[in-house]
Amino acid sequence: MVDFARVQKELQECNRDFEVSGIRVVPKSEANLAHLLGTIPGPLGTPYEGGTFKIDINLTDGYPFEPPKMKFVTKVWHPNISSQSGAICLDILKDQWSPALTLKTALLSIQALLSAPEPDDPQDAVVAQQYLREHHTFLGTARYWTEAFAMTSSLDVEEKVKKLVEMGFPETLVRSALDSVGGDENLALEKLCSG
Amino acid sequence: MFSPFNFFRVQCKFFAHGACLKGEHCEFSHDWKAAPNNICTFYQKGMCAYGSRCRYEHVKPSRSHSPVPSSAAELSFSVVQPSGTAGYDACSSPALITERSAANGSSHTPSRLAWGEKVGHQDLPESAVEARSMKSVDPSDQSICSFAAAGACPRGNKCPHIHGDTCPTCAKQCLHPYRPQEREEHMKTCEKMQKHLEALRHSQEIECSVCLERVLSKPVAAERKFGILSECDHPFCISCIRNWRGSSPASGLDINAALRACPICRKLSYFVIPSVIWYSSKEEKLEIVDSYKKKLKSIDCKHFDFGNGTCPFGTSCFYKHAYRDGTLEEVVLRHLGDEDGNTVIVKEIRFHLSN
Repeated sequence: MVDFARVQKELQECNRDFEVSGIRVVPKSEANLAHLLGTIPGPLGTPYEGGTFKIDINLTDGYPFEPPKMKFVTKVWHPNISSQSGAICLDILKDQWSPALTLKTALLSIQALLSAPEPDDPQDAVVAQQYLREHHTFLGTARYWTEAFAMTSSLDVEEKVKKLVEMGFPETLVRSALDSVGGDENLALEKLCSG
Repeated sequence: MFSPFNFFRVQCKFFAHGACLKGEHCEFSHDWKAAPNNICTFYQKGMCAYGSRCRYEHVKPSRSHSPVPSSAAELSFSVVQPSGTAGYDACSSPALITERSAANGSSHTPSRLAWGEKVGHQDLPESAVEARSMKSVDPSDQSICSFAAAGACPRGNKCPHIHGDTCPTCAKQCLHPYRPQEREEHMKTCEKMQKHLEALRHSQEIECSVCLERVLSKPVAAERKFGILSECDHPFCISCIRNWRGSSPASGLDINAALRACPICRKLSYFVIPSVIWYSSKEEKLEIVDSYKKKLKSIDCKHFDFGNGTCPFGTSCFYKHAYRDGTLEEVVLRHLGDEDGNTVIVKEIRFHLSN
């Protein structure tokens, strides 16, 4: 059973110092605290600067004695994050988890991972190769992905929703599709078309 | 109403509390005016655990003198009565009865002194004089005013009892001015209690780093306990740390690197000590650990089973390894030199027969 009292406390604590950390965790629905959405700002001085990255958080029954399941919803170009699925390769989310860690500290660690990639222990081999061999290209791609996927302002979202609704999809479905793919219009369309 | 017989008798304690089942057949007095038995028998036997806080009077049995009468009425009684019922004078205080019977039991049997209707005339003035003179001689035999010791004496300066000195720790007038041993004892226990209270207050504030709750305010009473790690000083509640260390290795976490380590500093600890109080110094931690180990050492090990079984923890087991006859298991460590010249301790040696 998830320790919801602790999750509740964590959320309060995390959102209290949002001003400082820029990290936010909100439940996807009020009814279920086991499914949350975290957002982290891209670290300064990296190609991810200026972006806001969404992370899907799923708490297993063993939480906090088991690590939370986290993956990027926003597409990221990073050696330790799958460019396809958003899966994160980070030891504290696996065998180095400790119950003294919280959602906030885990998200902070992910933020640190963004600024310090580990290409020798990659999650995405293609990105890692590029990071090691054509670093310049890597930086360009990462920057482009950040601008394309992580910098969607709310205005853009409304525009995309409008566009997709005009194509004949119901609005609620459009919104959830856009949400699940991190705001990418084409991916959302693909998702809507596939079912 | 004041029959001499009643006067002799000590007031029934049950009656005093309003419930004596024996009623009229009770051998103790059911009279409010009868002197209550206020002497601490433990003190007379040599040791009273309550020390200066005891609500009974601490009078030594060896000296035959009466403690300071507790009320003015009693005092006047012993003075007014001497001629008519002279025989009862010396016995007006029950304290004297016990003291005397304890001191010279050979000459007077206690029962005779206490319950007999007549007492020999001759020795009375003598003992009365003795009692009065002794009173002024040795102030260490007088008990201190219990009201003052408890906080405030309503009689103030007019109180016939000695008022104790103020204890620096509990700020009550409970230090006997003439009993150095008792003073020291009180100050020691008082200081210890104060320290304990202080630690308890401090412990209330401490949060478990896993459930993020105050350990001593947890909803389930059984969980209001700390789990102290042997190697570091990070606080957890016993249920959280046990839960974490007991996680199944199937969850993908490494037993030695993650589960046995402190969730905060990742220092490896091999055991957890339950405690209702958190410590503030190394010595206090050591005390908690030692008393815990000592307690376990007094419990027979289930695995060892009086020698019938084998304990997987061997010589490092915290529980008692003793045989049925009470003899302890002998610990024999076999030291062997290994090829590097170091000494290794061998657990068990088995010989294998090869064909």
